Amino acid sequence: MRGLRLVLAIQFLAICVLVAPAYAQTAKVAKGNASGAKVSQPASPAVPLTLPVADGSVRFAVIGDTGTASKQQHEVADVMVKYHGVFPFDTVVMMGDNLYGSETPADYKAKFQDVYQPLLDEKVKFYASLGNHDQPNERYYEYFNMNGKEYYHFTKGNVAFYALNSNYMDKAQLKWFEDELAKDTSDWKICFFHHPPYSSGSKHGSDKQLREIVEPLFVKYGVNVVLTGHDHFYERIKPQKGIYYFVSGAGGKLREGNVKAGSALTEKAYDADMSFMLIEVVKDALHFQVISRTGETVDSGVIMNQKKKV
Amino acid sequence: MIQPAKPGIVASTVLLIAVFSISRAAQKKVVDQIIKEEQPAVSAADKATIKAFQDRVAQYLKVRAEVKAKVPKLAKDSTPEQIQVAENAYVVSLRAARAGARQGALFTPDVAQYIRTTLKRELSSTEKKDVRETVLDKETTIPVALKVNYPYPDPKEFVEMPAKLLLKLPELPKEVKYRYVGRTLLLLDTDSNLILDYMVDALA
Repeated sequence: MRGLRLVLAIQFLAICVLVAPAYAQTAKVAKGNASGAKVSQPASPAVPLTLPVADGSVRFAVIGDTGTASKQQHEVADVMVKYHGVFPFDTVVMMGDNLYGSETPADYKAKFQDVYQPLLDEKVKFYASLGNHDQPNERYYEYFNMNGKEYYHFTKGNVAFYALNSNYMDKAQLKWFEDELAKDTSDWKICFFHHPPYSSGSKHGSDKQLREIVEPLFVKYGVNVVLTGHDHFYERIKPQKGIYYFVSGAGGKLREGNVKAGSALTEKAYDADMSFMLIEVVKDALHFQVISRTGETVDSGVIMNQKKKV
Repeated sequence: MIQPAKPGIVASTVLLIAVFSISRAAQKKVVDQIIKEEQPAVSAADKATIKAFQDRVAQYLKVRAEVKAKVPKLAKDSTPEQIQVAENAYVVSLRAARAGARQGALFTPDVAQYIRTTLKRELSSTEKKDVRETVLDKETTIPVALKVNYPYPDPKEFVEMPAKLLLKLPELPKEVKYRYVGRTLLLLDTDSNLILDYMVDALA
């Protein structure tokens, strides 16, 4: 009888886990340090930092539309290197258009390796997604860490990253994506890819067809944050169905003044210069800081985990 | 000595398996539902047309596999030089293996007509407008010489395949992709960007 009770108890627990309801999609963005995390590094006046730099946090940078080999791409990278000194991130996620134009060995060197060599020397790992200017064979490039795959998944601490190929969202990719999400127990789920489901760009703007296909998956499986590029500016979108969308497509190209004035989607936008993002996840808080080519902080804040009622 | 299982344990185990199966089915629901919604209505004749098209693509995959076996393989941590050497060897060998390939051999008139009719019928007027804006974007549309068995030109830039439209086209293996150049739909080899075939006027 005791054995039977034990079996029933285990089965009840298993049922609870399997049919657990979807999490509440409530979230907020706050300014400053809302995590209560221990700040271990003071900000330098020359490199103003709004991130906590907490022990054991997950830290990464976000760049998009970079591969031009232009002076401006180098200048953005130089600012990234400066920030790496006070905010030692070990990961960079790339929103695609990693190499514009031809893709000879000289192009890989000029448009990527030479630009980010100081970070590569510090063992920073870059994880690329593919844009409309990228050849599929970039997936084999040693420094893009794509493991020969056009779409892939990796985790760091309590954060799961999904690199998708938004150029070609076919059935196989959708099925893979859902399979991975369904078994993912990470606290944070962050997707990154090239084409923005939401954007206030006058040139490209929101990719509605892509949105209609992928958004139901984001909602059902509790994706917290979506990072994209394609439009050459920075934009933080007002939360859509509880999900935070960012456009960060100005790592090497700029479409100045391209954000539609008065767009209902925009929470914050910056299209006056090139930029990149820094992100730090400390337990249930995701801190972000957006920095321009000239080192100006153009946006910052904290997103509390939507899955957990905090 | 082996004891027979108690009926209560058997019943609850069956219940657990049933709940697990239902839960798994529920988890699959999103993509299955999306695909179901986007899947075009297909007649028996259309099914035969699609199958014949996919069979021709499968025949191409056999040729491709033979070529792949003879050229350098790319590791997941290749250098740009290794990528270039492997790409070039593959393109040269694949072109030689497909010498004589002609336009319309994969996109035969019946499947080309099926695709035109399907896109015209299945996409809403808003979706057609979205597709045209994406595919006919002057900035991202580059002039491409439409020649079967020749590589897509350098510098290579591809127009994104509109996601809903892609789900309406006959499914392809990962080794072959659809791509638009203006109103023309191409079939490209994924690893070489060799133009395997193309059909004109494929935009609804």
